Amino acid sequence: MFAYYFKLGLRNLRRNPALTALMVLILAVGVAASVSTLAILHVMSGDPIPGKSDRLFVPFIDNGQPDGYVLGAEPVDMQMAYPDAMNLLRKHPAERATAMFGTGMSIEPPRSDIPAFQAYGLAPTRAFFAMFDVPFLHGQPWTADDEARGANVVILNRTVAEKLFGDANPVGQRLIMNREPFTVVGVLGDWNPMPRYYKLIGSGPATGEEFMIPMATAVRKELTPYGSVNCSQVRDPGYASLLASECTWIQFWFETRSAFERAELQSFLENYAGEQRKLGRLKRNAPIELYDVMAWMEVRKVVGNDTKLSAWLAFGFLILCLVNTVGLLLAKFSARAPEVGIRRALGASRREIFQQFLIETGVIGLAGGLLGLLLAFGALALIGMQSRSMAAMARMDWEMLGLTFAISLCAALVAGLLPTWRACQVTPAIQLKSQ
Amino acid sequence: MEIRPILSALLRNKTGPILVAMQVALSLAILANALHIVNERREVAARPSGLSDEAATFYFSVRNLNQDTPDQMLATIKRELEVLRAVPGVASVAQVSQMPMSQSGGTTSIAADNRQQRESGYAATYFTGDSMVKTLGLKLVEGRDFHPQDIPEVNEQTNAEVPTLVIVTKPLADKLWPGAPAVGKTMYFGTGSSATGAQVIGVVEDLISAHAEIGETGIFSLIMPARQYGNGGAMYAIRSEPGQRDRVMQEAEQALRKSSATPMILRIKTVEDDRKDRYRADTALSWMLVTVSALLLLITCSGIVGMATLWVNQRRKQIGVRRALGARKLDILRYFIVENVMITSAGVVGGVLLGVGLNALLVSRLEMARLPLVYLVAGAIVFWAIGILSAYGPAWRAASISPALATRST
Repeated sequence: MFAYYFKLGLRNLRRNPALTALMVLILAVGVAASVSTLAILHVMSGDPIPGKSDRLFVPFIDNGQPDGYVLGAEPVDMQMAYPDAMNLLRKHPAERATAMFGTGMSIEPPRSDIPAFQAYGLAPTRAFFAMFDVPFLHGQPWTADDEARGANVVILNRTVAEKLFGDANPVGQRLIMNREPFTVVGVLGDWNPMPRYYKLIGSGPATGEEFMIPMATAVRKELTPYGSVNCSQVRDPGYASLLASECTWIQFWFETRSAFERAELQSFLENYAGEQRKLGRLKRNAPIELYDVMAWMEVRKVVGNDTKLSAWLAFGFLILCLVNTVGLLLAKFSARAPEVGIRRALGASRREIFQQFLIETGVIGLAGGLLGLLLAFGALALIGMQSRSMAAMARMDWEMLGLTFAISLCAALVAGLLPTWRACQVTPAIQLKSQ
Repeated sequence: MEIRPILSALLRNKTGPILVAMQVALSLAILANALHIVNERREVAARPSGLSDEAATFYFSVRNLNQDTPDQMLATIKRELEVLRAVPGVASVAQVSQMPMSQSGGTTSIAADNRQQRESGYAATYFTGDSMVKTLGLKLVEGRDFHPQDIPEVNEQTNAEVPTLVIVTKPLADKLWPGAPAVGKTMYFGTGSSATGAQVIGVVEDLISAHAEIGETGIFSLIMPARQYGNGGAMYAIRSEPGQRDRVMQEAEQALRKSSATPMILRIKTVEDDRKDRYRADTALSWMLVTVSALLLLITCSGIVGMATLWVNQRRKQIGVRRALGARKLDILRYFIVENVMITSAGVVGGVLLGVGLNALLVSRLEMARLPLVYLVAGAIVFWAIGILSAYGPAWRAASISPALATRST
């Protein structure tokens, strides 16, 4: 009977084309609005590194001034100072740790037809690549020896490597950066975690950093940190004093073997903070915080209020479309009362009428889902025009595709419950009499 | 006006009216909040930057690839300024450290007295080696601009000098020294005994910060005199004669590149583009809200029209009987319109309550602002109007039903 009702449903769609078209359109618009905002929410709040997100931690050690400090107040900056970063890299109980900061360098391409340009890059320590599962197209991370010496080695991202060297493997080639020769040791594969959770403060280009050099090299060359440098005290000029000061400009991550080792890491950090307080470095009595990936994204408000507002609005809109659809379905089904009367008189039970009309509603739901999907693609394109980073996030994946049809079908079925129930209540006798 | 019969007829067949009232309520609640947010964002995006001619102002970030000594870098900066000033159509050039709405720049904490417990706020720190006030066309309301002799040459790598003179914006002056003239007062960069101070020599009306934050921090700015050099690059703000920006931009770029023996990296941005980029997200949200509001109105309208048409069709016989018994067309029309107004009113009341509730939720969870009552009142009026207009068509068709045809039972 299902196939028969399905065919009936399809045929009845054509019966009152204007009404059906209106119903399908309104349902489609509601579904499109909800799905497009949901898709963005899904990308923004999804786990960028499932399987590891509970083992990667960002520590927060408050090294601010004691004056005017209120316990629990929002910190001015959540980055780390250089002394803390170096101390923790030297000695920590976790499996891996990395520190990084963003910077820029001029690149003079080997080909004379491309002019020199300023590139944005990252200066992490080598554990970065293993910790964040960074894929490599060519080559591999620099060696521990390179890092110790602060050698002139660089890893390029795929776009820049192709721009400068075409399709050839550039590993081993020389590149002039900030007027000095650097050796290319690797090229990153396509790596576009959404959002770029590894560096949420002072984030770099939306398409990812163009090059990576060892942090030791960047420090040796006294490269200016790009992004956010926060100094709560006046400091002497010069790079050396930046390194010695309590200015925060470095972002730090730990990786533990399992989520259980978090407590151990926390107590290690608390001991460390205690030592630093005795040395007079940390003046505030602030608690040590440890954030895993999802908590860090929450604290940094990755899913902004505007995105949440859009999602709520879209759902309110869907509910309105639902209520409207209920009204339209009531109208549509009430016109079919005579047909129902005849079927019932011929022996159909209430349940069978219910099934028939519910399946018909389902057909409308599917049609609405199809149109809604097309509209959702359009809506995502429109939302993508907001900014480059939004354009990268406004995408539909298979999960969302399935969700479109699920939402549309459920919405239609829910909307159809009342009209369908009403249709079943038709008394055959009255309908037959007025024929 | 037969309210009671209409009411009792409505109550007997509740489903349709409830559906319409729900639609009106939902639409009103969402619409009022949406339009309020649109208006807010529009206001934020329309904040004045303080520049006299945004369309004619642009800036260069210049970096050459030589290994110059700091003194050579200083000489380069002076040479580049000369080259830029010589370009025809350039009204004024100034070396600056950051530009308004560029989303790249620094701030400092400020206080009226360094013995304060907490700082009074945060302000954007603009350094200029020339006259930023003249180049950006800022409006001085008190005091004076810097004289050339006020501007020290500061080697950023070695010089720890802190500025001793500062120009502030009027909102900042009003916050630190309410009701008193700011010129001559000392402003401190933070609190605590080590915080240094600078004397205010001038006040400009407006200068928005580099990040154009919402609230105080966006309109608190400091301009300090320093010709900064030593970090291998410089930023120049240029204002062209009105309407000539694009041509001047091109010629200035060519002149700069020609003046340097070695290749240079040049980034060009206009203040117009910076404004668009800074407010892009707010503008996009506004458009989305406006689109959704328009769709809401359309859908609710169609819902009311559809429901009204359905009732007319269901009550053909009753209408026919009434007409046959002597009701005029006007009576039928009035009946349907009154009925619709009653349903819409119920919806409007529900909508106002829902709207206030929704706003409370937005305020508490999404840090939005409170909804002024005027939006709900305006929304209520709009939906009443829509209710009456939407019902008019079907009501007129009902009134035009011929009694003879309607009472015929087939």
